Formats: sequence, C-alpha cells, structure tokens
Amino acid sequence: MSYYFAIIGTQDNPLFEYEFGTSKQGGDGQAHFNDQARHLNQFVLHSSLDIVEEVQWTNGQSYLKAIDKFFNNYISCFITGSNVKLLLLHQPPSSPGGGASGLGAAASTRSSTSIAANPTSPQTEEAVKNFFTEAYENYVKATMSPFYRANMEIRNPVFRARVVAAGRKYL
Amino acid sequence: MMSASKASRLGEEIWKTRIDKVNSELVVLTYGTIVAQLCKDFDSDYVEVNKQLDKMGYNIGLRLIEDYLAKSNTMRRCANFRETAEMIAKVGFKIFLNITPTITNWTSDSKQFSLVFDENPLADFVELPDDGRAQDELWFSNILCGVLRGALEMVQMQVEAHFISDVLRGNDTTEMRISLIRYIDDELPPEDD
Amino acid sequence: MVIYSFYIFDRHTECIYSKLWLPPSAAAAAAPATPATANIVTGDGAGSVTLAPRGGPHNTDRRSVKVKASDDAKLIFGTVFSLRNMVRKLGGDDDAFISYRTGQYKLHYYETASSLRFVMLTDTTTLSMRSVLHQIYINLWVEYVVKNPLAPVEHKGGDGVKNELFELGLDQFVRGLM
Repeated sequence: MSYYFAIIGTQDNPLFEYEFGTSKQGGDGQAHFNDQARHLNQFVLHSSLDIVEEVQWTNGQSYLKAIDKFFNNYISCFITGSNVKLLLLHQPPSSPGGGASGLGAAASTRSSTSIAANPTSPQTEEAVKNFFTEAYENYVKATMSPFYRANMEIRNPVFRARVVAAGRKYL
Repeated sequence: MMSASKASRLGEEIWKTRIDKVNSELVVLTYGTIVAQLCKDFDSDYVEVNKQLDKMGYNIGLRLIEDYLAKSNTMRRCANFRETAEMIAKVGFKIFLNITPTITNWTSDSKQFSLVFDENPLADFVELPDDGRAQDELWFSNILCGVLRGALEMVQMQVEAHFISDVLRGNDTTEMRISLIRYIDDELPPEDD
Repeated sequence: MVIYSFYIFDRHTECIYSKLWLPPSAAAAAAPATPATANIVTGDGAGSVTLAPRGGPHNTDRRSVKVKASDDAKLIFGTVFSLRNMVRKLGGDDDAFISYRTGQYKLHYYETASSLRFVMLTDTTTLSMRSVLHQIYINLWVEYVVKNPLAPVEHKGGDGVKNELFELGLDQFVRGLM
C-alpha cells in the first residue's frame, strides 16, 4: 500500500515530494514502490497535470477528488487559489491478499474495506481530502516564511514533518 | 517602586483599553519582508543585516518611547534598573507586541539581565535560509535590540542589547541580554557670554 | 484664564517650539503686523519679566524681535532648569517643579521622562496647568509630531514641529481653555 505525494508549482515545477505507505490497519507507513515505479510515479503525476487543467475549470472546488487513473495508480488533486497543485498518487495492493499473504484470508478481507484498498470509495475521498486540507494549511504556513519565494522548492523540515504526521493520521 | 504585579496590571489595562490593534500577520509579513530584503540587498552579509536591523530599531525606539510614555501615563522615572526591566517586559512588550518576556539571569550588580521570549510574534512562520550561515549569523529579531537601545537612551539610560539565543536557530529559547552601561546626565544649556 | 505663551524645550536644552497668544485688544492693535512679531519683553538682568506684549505698529524691527524672542526662551529655560534642579536637590529625585508665580504672571512646568520640557505662562489666577501640559504632550505632541514619519527625531531648530495639525490642534486646545 503506497502513496506518492507531490506539490507542483505554477510552472509545473515540483516543489515538494514525499513517498509513504498507509499506517492504517497495521500498515508500517512505508512506501512499497519498486525502483521502476518510483521513477514512473513522477511521470504519472506529471502527465495528470493536463487533466487537472481540464477539470479545474469545471467546478469551483479546491479538492478535485480522484481525477486520473493509470493502471493501478489513482491520482487525487487539490488545487490552491494560486494555482499550485497538491497531487497524491495512490496505489492499492496490486492483487487483494497478495500483499498480506502471510496474514491469511481474514486480514485480506479487512484490508479490502480499508481506505488504502479502495481508492474510489467515499471514505477514501474524505480521508484524502482531510490529508490535503492539512497539507495545504501547512503549505501556506511554510510559504509565509519571508525567505520563501514563489515556486521555490520547500525544504522546510518542519513542513515535511507535518506532512508525514498528516499522512499517518488520515491515510 | 512599582511592584511586578502592578506593572502586569498596568500593561494589561493599557493593552485592553488604549491600544489600536492590527492584524498580526500583517506585522509578521511586513517585518519578514524587511529582513529578507535586507539579506538580499546586503548579499546575505548577515552581520551587516543584524547591524541594519539594530539601526532601524534604534530609530523606532527613539520615537516609540514617547508613545510608551503617553500611553502608560508615566509621570516619574523608574527608581532603579530592576524596575526598568519590569516596565520593559510587562508594560512595553505587552502594549506593543502583546507578549510578556520573562526577566531572568540578573547579575549581582543589577546591571545586566536577560529577557526570555516564550513567543515571538515577529518570527511566526519564519524559517531561516538554509545556506549554512544564516543559522549561525543572522539574528532575525535583532530590531528589538535596537528598539530597546533607542527607547532607553531617550530616558537617559545607555544600554547595550543583543540576542544570545534564538529558537529559529534551533536553540531551546530566545534570549536577549541587556546591560546598563550608564545613566546619561542632563544636558546643560550652553553658557551665555 | 489668560494664557500668554507656550514653549517646548528638547533634551538638548534647545527651544524647539514657542507660541504666543495675544489678548484680543493687543491683537487688534497689532493687526497690520503679523501676530508672530509680538513678543515678551524682558526687563533688566534681575529676571523680572513683564508680560506686556509689545504690540502696535511702532515695533517693526523684526530681526531684533526675533533675537529678543530667542533670548526670552533661553532665559526661561535657564530659570526653569535651575528651579527644577533646586527642587530635586531639596525634595528628592521624585519631587517635581510644577509652577512659580510672580506679581504679573504664573509659569507652569511639565517635564516628560524623555526630557522634553513644556512651559506655559498664564495670568496669576490660573490653577495648575500641569494636566493641560500633559494633555498637550500625549494628544498633540506624540500624535502629530512624534508619529509623523516625515518629522525628524531630533527637532534641531524646531525642525518638524510646526506642522499644521500640531499648530492647529494646539491653538484650538488653548483657545478652548481661555
């Protein structure tokens, strides 16, 4: 169960990225992307920007929900008023039970109802929304630093820690 | 001599009744922008930036003291430097920044003390530049040192003030050290021929 | 109550502001000349000050008037400064010199912690003007001079004091008292 979170600036430039896994239902909070997927994630996210630009004008919301799907990767987006995009790539376990084979059938049924395994369920939408909202709040605070300039990479360790905490809390 | 609790009450009362409030984020962003601009103008020569901030603060202090005296209705001088410290922390900082730094670490001759800032409204949101030097050289809130120096000079106290730690640098506390150098004598009118 | 004149001295002992109010009759007599040319006439070196404004068209030598006015200010400062020091010596550092009275006038004094000295001359029957001087300080000086970002911090030669708001505010305030 893995997530890849990225903030994209107004010039489609990455400002921040963070990989993590679910912490719900005994998840270890680690991302389980293989090396190839790691590189692929960036492309997947980047290509979804085109869809963001289409969807962003269709409703006035910041949270655009899951906007794109690439094989087993689901992409959710939150767009700020200043056209900065918060993107979350969400990769459920490729085969149900495959990731949790050691734990037997009981574990896999439980995980099948979890947020992580159901990228399109309303609960997941809500959880991702909460995650985005918190990440956005902290993003605003980070960019309020006088030494931060627009579209600059966010290196603030406090911000990273807060995103990590939000990921653990909601996803 | 005014007791510490009386000073607190005075500060509280003035803050509640006589102070026009302004959005704190406006202040934070304005001050932050000034510091960032100075860093840019002086090519990240942080020693120079500290100096400039102190100078700006000094010029503010020279004026701010009059506002302080007017608002606090001070009709007499502090009896000693300890009382001055109380008034700075509990009235001055209270009415202008709505904080009350802790007074501590007095030297035995009562001429030096520290102000420890539990909160620092100037530094909200601030993350020092990670160029490897700012953390060691820049005192982000250095303007406050200048303000105290300027304000106290107008009431005939020559002091020296500098920060010795700052949470922005990763220290546990934000602490400013203030030393009384001397009381300034009244100026005498020039002799007439 | 009649208020004759008002002075501000800074911490460098310089007179940075002065203003005179003429009684209506004298003002009428002096109408062709500007009111600013009126001044206080000091007597001999004995320090007796007579407060008969030298109005009237016969007094046209402005330069000497100006010199005279600045001499007056110096004299007043010397007097209040000595009195204040004497008061402190006798009554302790917390004691304050408030006023003195002669047969002709009464002088009121107020000093801020920042060593600004406010002096006002009134007729002899006027009660304490200390609170009035304090009001002038907090409501006019601080608001209109100190908080004016274009005014310098030190008012050498009265620089930056004579702005419209301060002058107008002061005149209204004082006339309101009379």
